Amino acid sequence: MERETLEVDVLIVGGGPAGLSAALRLGQLQKAAGGEPLAVAVLEKAREAGAHMLSGAVLDPSTLGDLVPDFEAKGAPLAAAVREDRIYFLTPHGKIKFPFTPPPLANHGNYVISVNKFVKWLSGLVEDEGIDLFTGFPGADLLMDGETVVGVRTGDRGVGKRGEHRATFDPGVEIRAKVTILADGVRGNLTKQLIRRLQLGHRDHPQLFAIGIKELWDVPADRLTAGTVIHTMGYPLRSDEFGGGFIYAMPEGQVACGFVAGLDYRDPMFDPHVAFNHFKRHPLVKDILNGGQMVRYGAKALPEGGWYTIPRCYADGALIVGDAAGFMNSLRLKGIHLAMRSGMHAADTAFDAVRAGDTTAARLRQFETRINEGPIRRELYPVRNVHQAFGSGLLAGLAYSGLALVTGGWWFKPMRSAPGHDRMEKLFEYYGRRGRRIPEGATNAMRPDRQLTFDKLTNVHYSGTRHDEDQPVHLLVQTDVCHTICTEEYGNPCQRFCPANVYEIIADAAGKKLQINASNCVHCKTCDIMDPYQVITWVTPEGGGGPQYDGM
Amino acid sequence: MILVIAEQRDGKLNPATWETVAAVQQLAAGQPVAIAVAGAAGRELQKVAAELAAAAVQEVIAIESPALERYTPDGYVAGLQAAISELAPSVVALPHTYQTRDFAPKLAARMDRAIVTDVTGIKKAGGADAFARPMFQGKLTADVVPQGPVPHFVTFQIGAFRADQASRGASPAPVRAMAVEVDAAAVRQQPEAPFQEAKQAVDLSQAARIVSVGRGIKEQSNIAMARQLAEALGAELAASRPICDAGWLPMERQVGSSGQTVAPKLYVALGISGAIQHLVGMKGSSVIVAINKDPDAPIFEVADFGIVGDLFEIVPAIVAELQK
Repeated sequence: MERETLEVDVLIVGGGPAGLSAALRLGQLQKAAGGEPLAVAVLEKAREAGAHMLSGAVLDPSTLGDLVPDFEAKGAPLAAAVREDRIYFLTPHGKIKFPFTPPPLANHGNYVISVNKFVKWLSGLVEDEGIDLFTGFPGADLLMDGETVVGVRTGDRGVGKRGEHRATFDPGVEIRAKVTILADGVRGNLTKQLIRRLQLGHRDHPQLFAIGIKELWDVPADRLTAGTVIHTMGYPLRSDEFGGGFIYAMPEGQVACGFVAGLDYRDPMFDPHVAFNHFKRHPLVKDILNGGQMVRYGAKALPEGGWYTIPRCYADGALIVGDAAGFMNSLRLKGIHLAMRSGMHAADTAFDAVRAGDTTAARLRQFETRINEGPIRRELYPVRNVHQAFGSGLLAGLAYSGLALVTGGWWFKPMRSAPGHDRMEKLFEYYGRRGRRIPEGATNAMRPDRQLTFDKLTNVHYSGTRHDEDQPVHLLVQTDVCHTICTEEYGNPCQRFCPANVYEIIADAAGKKLQINASNCVHCKTCDIMDPYQVITWVTPEGGGGPQYDGM
Repeated sequence: MILVIAEQRDGKLNPATWETVAAVQQLAAGQPVAIAVAGAAGRELQKVAAELAAAAVQEVIAIESPALERYTPDGYVAGLQAAISELAPSVVALPHTYQTRDFAPKLAARMDRAIVTDVTGIKKAGGADAFARPMFQGKLTADVVPQGPVPHFVTFQIGAFRADQASRGASPAPVRAMAVEVDAAAVRQQPEAPFQEAKQAVDLSQAARIVSVGRGIKEQSNIAMARQLAEALGAELAASRPICDAGWLPMERQVGSSGQTVAPKLYVALGISGAIQHLVGMKGSSVIVAINKDPDAPIFEVADFGIVGDLFEIVPAIVAELQK
């Protein structure tokens, strides 16, 4: 099939904080250095910039100040300056407030933001620099020449359910670039391809993840002062489960309320969405949300592994930035400023390389040098073992984190961890061996009341997610596993870890089978991460499809 | 003056036009209302115009040109633009049908005027009228005030206004013909004969009564029972998403956010839980009857009449009563 080709100097895949910071920085470097203008393009699978962006979020403005010194004058949408940090340990009906805020979690000087609005604003700056932002264009496949990344092919449009070409068929474009910067987010599909292809990962330190589920609420304006930042741990999670809740207050009664659950839980019947509902029912949260209105819902995975799990981020013709690489500080729960910083480093490296006419891995290795010598290592190295420590339980994690504050993260040797999906135990292991009964449905399943708590199907409606129905299913699953061993060994956990009701086991005349409601997908990547057999592969659906995370 | 553009095909008036008339009469507040219908001069167009003349409007205008005999977007845009320029209304109102969606944006853009689509309500807010329209599959409603020079174009969502609330005039309104110049050579489209993809294509949006089945029907063979009820009621058969996904009924019978939006006089929901994705497709129905064995099912929140019970007992009982 004939495909159009487009040639650029630098191609950035992903229009999130990392990708847009890289683009903006390239524009700035261009202006400062003068000379032959660099052709730069950014690909974004969402219909508009920011539509697939979801995070708590509390932003550390350090990188923003370096990238856009006059960010206030330029109208950066920083919803509220953080006024108060509260940390609670929750019990089923009570709460214990931490008497002080541990320094890494202190947010003085930071801002509560909506990352969706923030990215929309960044995209405006990028377009002002004259850089093309192609929304509705997913990066579907890497173009490789041997071990060299030579570009990306965008997704085809107008392909029908059975793979046939519809009347609207439009083949994807091959975009060839001297340097491709992969900023395709947590468990990005192209980054995953590249890591596998070039063995960029670390065997003893696999990438680790968590799922973040979030709702945006409108509550009476006097409930919480804007800038109040609340974090919780404990209930409803058990001691061997990682995660906790968050509540961030923005002006005019807008409240971001969410829950993070590590994607390394052992109980195969665990459902993060159920945990989120229990969290909301706790008096601390209920008192804040009562009488309010849920306005938006969404979910996304987070890269929790830390410093040692970051893969090699450079290759011939390519760099990996942002959440795709895993630049997140899991102790401070912040990644946006690090994603932006990595984008800037990538821009500096790519600009240098293109101008020098050398885009090999040897040259692009400069990116790693910048990471090592700059603020990213300074921040991430001291917390390099934190998530792994929690792998030994809440107490161990807290103890190590406390120790890490004083010792700069010292431990006898780098803490190892198994990949999250490997930690999920089989039904007979988790229940049988402990002499417990396997629950009928999810662990602690509860009936949602539809005022404060909702079922997944109702929630996913509020994510605004839409996909054209007539297209191939973008979740590639080896269903022979589902229908045979998975039911017996794990009870088909996909029905539980997906926050959007994509996977359902339906009983029909022939027996049980997997039904994939692909159009519900919110692109969180949890299934790709957590499925115990690793037989689910998320690929890009037709461009433009996906959630509409306004205000998230 | 507010101008309603009626929709007709082969001399048959689309009943959605009456909904638009009802909406406009709510909006008018003293302003005169006229209805225009486009087509080729002849008996069929005259018949439609006469039908429209029953409304309580100032006049009915038949916009005539040989190029308008069959619908084409280019032809309609050219013809209506000429007519609208001559009539100079302040608002041009249309029903939000497939056909309207095909040409109205182009018409508004050609005339460089604001267009507000899929309107579900009119808000009079001290001076300017705001048009309420859904956003994000009905989760939000935006109140839109069109700006810029008149005429403003407005299209009204099917089912948002009631056709039977269009006031009829005491006597038929005057009908006049307006010939317009449409350059047939400039019309790029060649309309072909309409075709039906499926053997029995169904347009649920035109059905006055609908019997709809959901997961509660349990097996494909039980749909026959629902079909019996539909026949007894003179209703069309429809379904929620899981039924169509399973292939038990064709996709064109799906009601919901990824299927059809309907607003019949009677909607009977059998074994449908009432997930929000389904509700947005049918909550505009005049009367909703729900039968479900789960008393907490969300469908009961929108139903006018609800029976908590086993539909396999209740439906045959209803059918038996109807057949008496």
